[in-house]
Amino acid sequence: MQTGESKSTREGANSVVIPRPQAETRGVAASVRSLSKSFKKTPVLEDIDFDLAEGESLVLLGASGSGKTTILRIIAGLEEPDTGRIILHGKDVTELPARERGVGVIFQAYALFPRMNVEQNIGYGLRIRHRARKEIKETVNGLIELVGLEEHRKKFPSQLSGGQQQRVAIARTLAYNPQVLLFDEPFGALDAQMRVRLRREIHGLLKKVNLPAIFITHDQEEALELGDRIAVLNAGRLEQIGTPDEVYNRPESEYVATFLGAANLLLGVIDNQAVEIGTASIPAGAEAARFRDGQSVKLVFRPEDVVLSKAGQLPEGCRRLTNGVIEEKSFVGAYERLTVRLDLVARQSTSGEAPLYNVTITTPEKRTGIPIIVTRPKPEASATRLNINDRIAVGLSAFRVLPNYTLGTERAGKLVPSQRT
Amino acid sequence: MSKRLSPLRHVRGFDVVRPLSIAMMMAMMLPLVLLPLASIFIFGTSKGLDTFWTSITDPEAVFALKLSVVTSFWATGFNVLFGLFAAYVLSRYAFRGRNAVIILISMPTAIPTAVAGFALILLWGPYGLLGRFLDPRGINIIGTAWAIILANIFVTFPLAFGVIKPVFDTLSRSLEEASATIGATRWQTFWHVTLPSLRGAIVTGALLTFARALGEFGSTILVSGNIAGETQTAPLHIYSEFLRNRVESANAVAIVLVIISFAIFSVLFLARDWLDTE
Repeated sequence: MQTGESKSTREGANSVVIPRPQAETRGVAASVRSLSKSFKKTPVLEDIDFDLAEGESLVLLGASGSGKTTILRIIAGLEEPDTGRIILHGKDVTELPARERGVGVIFQAYALFPRMNVEQNIGYGLRIRHRARKEIKETVNGLIELVGLEEHRKKFPSQLSGGQQQRVAIARTLAYNPQVLLFDEPFGALDAQMRVRLRREIHGLLKKVNLPAIFITHDQEEALELGDRIAVLNAGRLEQIGTPDEVYNRPESEYVATFLGAANLLLGVIDNQAVEIGTASIPAGAEAARFRDGQSVKLVFRPEDVVLSKAGQLPEGCRRLTNGVIEEKSFVGAYERLTVRLDLVARQSTSGEAPLYNVTITTPEKRTGIPIIVTRPKPEASATRLNINDRIAVGLSAFRVLPNYTLGTERAGKLVPSQRT
Repeated sequence: MSKRLSPLRHVRGFDVVRPLSIAMMMAMMLPLVLLPLASIFIFGTSKGLDTFWTSITDPEAVFALKLSVVTSFWATGFNVLFGLFAAYVLSRYAFRGRNAVIILISMPTAIPTAVAGFALILLWGPYGLLGRFLDPRGINIIGTAWAIILANIFVTFPLAFGVIKPVFDTLSRSLEEASATIGATRWQTFWHVTLPSLRGAIVTGALLTFARALGEFGSTILVSGNIAGETQTAPLHIYSEFLRNRVESANAVAIVLVIISFAIFSVLFLARDWLDTE
């Protein structure tokens, strides 16, 4: 959500985003070409296309039912697509059975073989390939060392912790030099603390072995941390694919904006390079240039991109939206969370059409205006204290203007989501 | 009311219900199960261990026991293999009539064993559905050990299947899928991944089948011809000896059968951790 000219408006607001090398400079490890799939006439995937570069980590992010698991299973050869191709290192593998594809799948519950110990699990891929005993032993030893399970080599899966099981599962796939690693909700079965630790561990491990990997998750924080790029899926469609910075800061659809982090949405219309929201107006520069005058749009901005000022003086690079009143205030750990009711009154339409945004009327005070969520980091919250019922000026340091499809008048391209309101 | 009852249930921290329940259960078990078993041992050895030993080493008795063990063994082998295969097919593939097949497979449990016996005669006998084609070629199944094996297979058919099928159903598909993505063929996956997970069910099913086949009487007496030293199984031998008023001799063989069953069910009970399928 960058405004036209400001270079870095959200400094420090999101420490998770780290610039990473661009994928385009590397060779392509895997390609998914116009993949479609239906289950009993219900489409679960529609025209999915993406490439995976050598050594790259791609995260497929989506809610349950978005089709992300199906994509993974099709790449692995466990499911057949209706149409589309899977290409691994230049070779079309669409018709190949799972066992001939050479992909490593780390299943959600790890799927370790319960009757085999750690060594036997890791060596399985080599044993079924009838490799020499000595070679198997050396490879297994190397992998056990790589994943740090030296003391557990004779243990059975049921005697290992979740994290250890996961490491065995990864080592088991690495044993046969897979072309690509596929992780199905790798941290789904673990508690919050373990997740964060294992995430770092896997990230480090992947950089060590330098294998391309695809992760599946519904956790946006996980996606931002693990992915060199993130592909956001919604109802079987690819909404946006890009670096964490791109999808977080420049979402191309309302779905991406709201799924990946919190976002405030205000309905407005374009008027002379500005977004007019009822009685307020905010200059949008390049953002607005993509739209015609009078086009219905949505102003999308993150809670951390809102700047509040009691004195009415907003810092440079920040655009004034309107005034508002603090309505609620709470501490949520690392930051302060405010609900601000904006002084926005519905622009009365001349031709009797519906107002372009909601006017909330809450009894008993019959307050009007639109509530938005604002977050402020602790230092800022303690430097300028704000209390409930304080009147403040509201500005935005970054925002994004997106077409408003929900009115049904402007529909175009692949951004059209499947009939959401 | 409850105030008067409560001191009965707990006498100074002593739970009265516990010993009472145990005693009552034992009292019920005694005439129903324990005493019949005990009487076999009591009468079987009442004329001294020498008589017991001569009865048990009698060639006809030895033959009968051997025949029972051998025929039960083959029936068990077949039913475990078939049960495994049937369970695999019926839990992996959905097809029309699948439920009908599952019901049919389970039916022999409820059919009287004597009915099973003459059903086999109606099939394999000289005038039977299949037997009439075999008879002219000099192939006769009824009245041979083959008939005993067929009868055992029929009667114990659902046992192994019934134990293996539910385990198959709960077996996680992802284990097999993991094996496939690692590069294993279907056969390798079955051998290295599926089968080891089923070992408990297979052993349990085999032991149950064997125990059941060993004691089979109703169907074998009809199809075997009951010729001592030729087609007489241990249960038939016991019955014949009993009719000839040689109770000790019948009891001696019965004791061996009881000990074998005891051993089988001890294994099933004591090794249940090992047999437990994850």
